[in-house]
This record gives sequence, structure tokens and C-alpha cells, in this order.
Amino acid sequence: MKNRIKVLRAERDMTQEQLAELAGVTRNTIISMEKNKYSPSLKLAYRIAHIFGIGIDDIFTYEEEIDGPSGDDE
Amino acid sequence: MKRITYLTCTLVVASMVAEMVGWSMAAGNFLIPVIAIPLGVIVILACRAQVDIVIADERENRIRGRAALRTLEVVAIGGAIAAIILYSYIVSIPLAPIITGKLVIGDDGRQSMTIAEYQPGSVPGPDTLVRSTTINDLSSMNESEAFAYSSYVREGFKENEDRGLAGTTIAGCLAAMLAIFGAFYLYYNRKY
Repeated sequence: MKNRIKVLRAERDMTQEQLAELAGVTRNTIISMEKNKYSPSLKLAYRIAHIFGIGIDDIFTYEEEIDGPSGDDE
Repeated sequence: MKRITYLTCTLVVASMVAEMVGWSMAAGNFLIPVIAIPLGVIVILACRAQVDIVIADERENRIRGRAALRTLEVVAIGGAIAAIILYSYIVSIPLAPIITGKLVIGDDGRQSMTIAEYQPGSVPGPDTLVRSTTINDLSSMNESEAFAYSSYVREGFKENEDRGLAGTTIAGCLAAMLAIFGAFYLYYNRKY
């Protein structure tokens, strides 16, 4: 799963800390997502989309074969 | 409360509870742990509620889950190997000490016996001798000779039995751990 969180965050002049606080996750999770190391759960993905005020499809792009823990299979 | 403050509080409370439980065990007072442990848990949970930042989210939980599973696998495999190796000291002949008894009957009819212990898996000889004792007259052995005679075999195998006991303990702990894992697995399997 690839995402545009870093770009969207920069557009809104938002820090990782602020986004983490709004999404209710740790800053490390935001960092991991921005590096495409961690795929968030559907719940977190919707929360982030809601924070940015856009649809999930505008943030996340599905791609096969990305290694790393995923929140979806929790 | 910052995360570091919370961790410090947890460490202090855990140390105090451990100290109190240790002291109460030594003093034979079993009421203190019954009060101290739940009290410690309550204090830690209260501190946790005061933490103003997110200390665990879905990624953290996922990582912890994976780390716990890997730990379980490593401990289960390593523990099983250690338990089998240690237990084999009880049942394996090559790992057991070699104890020989040599009876000599003198010209006057007096029976003397030499008991010797040799290193496990070795050929009995002066180089592999661990210890030996001689009872000069079996029919009139003194108290120390009688004690040596009765305890020799027991002491010779004690080290092996201790290892076997450690192996059995590890196997028991492992079985309990896997049983607890199985119980939680079934619980979460039904829940989700």
C-alpha cells in the first residue's frame, strides 16, 4: 500500500506530531506509513482521510507485495 | 504525564511490590502480597490513565503481537531442546556416572569393599576417577563408613538428578505456557 500522507501533510503545513495526535496514533506510526513500511487498518485509513477531508482512494494506492506489518489483519 | 514519567512510576511501583512480596515470604506473612499486588496494579493503571500522549496504537499492538509470537516460538523450541537434554541426564546411561564396587575377602575371612565413582562415559581408570572410599571391614563398619556406603550412589547421581529436575521444570513451564497460549488463542478465535 502506497500513500500520499507526506505530501498532503506538507500541503496543509501539518507536522507528524499533529497528525499523530489527530489520528490517535503514535508519531512512529505516521513515520512508518510515510515510508510505506506500515499499512494502516481500514479504521485508521478512514480516520486519516477524514482529517485531510478527502477520500481514501486519494490517499492510499493499493500495490501488491509490500512487506511489513499491516493493521488490516489485526 | 509524560511517557518517561509513566515508565519511571511503573518501575518504582514494580520494585516496591517485588520487595514487599519478597520480604513477606521471608517473614511468612502471606497477607501482604494479596494486598500489595492488586494495589500495585491499580497504581500502575491509574498512572497509565494520566499519560497525555498515545503510548500504544494499532502498529504498536501489531509489533508487540509479532514479537510475542516470535518469542513464544523461540522459547518453545529452545525450551523443548533444553528440557530434553537436561532430562536425558536421568535416563541416559552414557551421561550417568560409573560407580563400581570391588569386594575383597582377606585370608582371615574379613570382607573389605572399595566403592569408586568415575566420570560419565569414561573407561574406569585412575585418570577418570572422581572419588573413592574403602570400607575396611564390612561386618564391623563404623558410622562414617556406613554413611558413605549408603549415600555414595545417591550422591553420585545427585548432579544428574538435579539437571533432570531442571529439565522437568522447564518442560512443565513450557507446557503451562503453551496451554495459556492455546487458551488465549481459542478465546480470541471465538471473539473475532
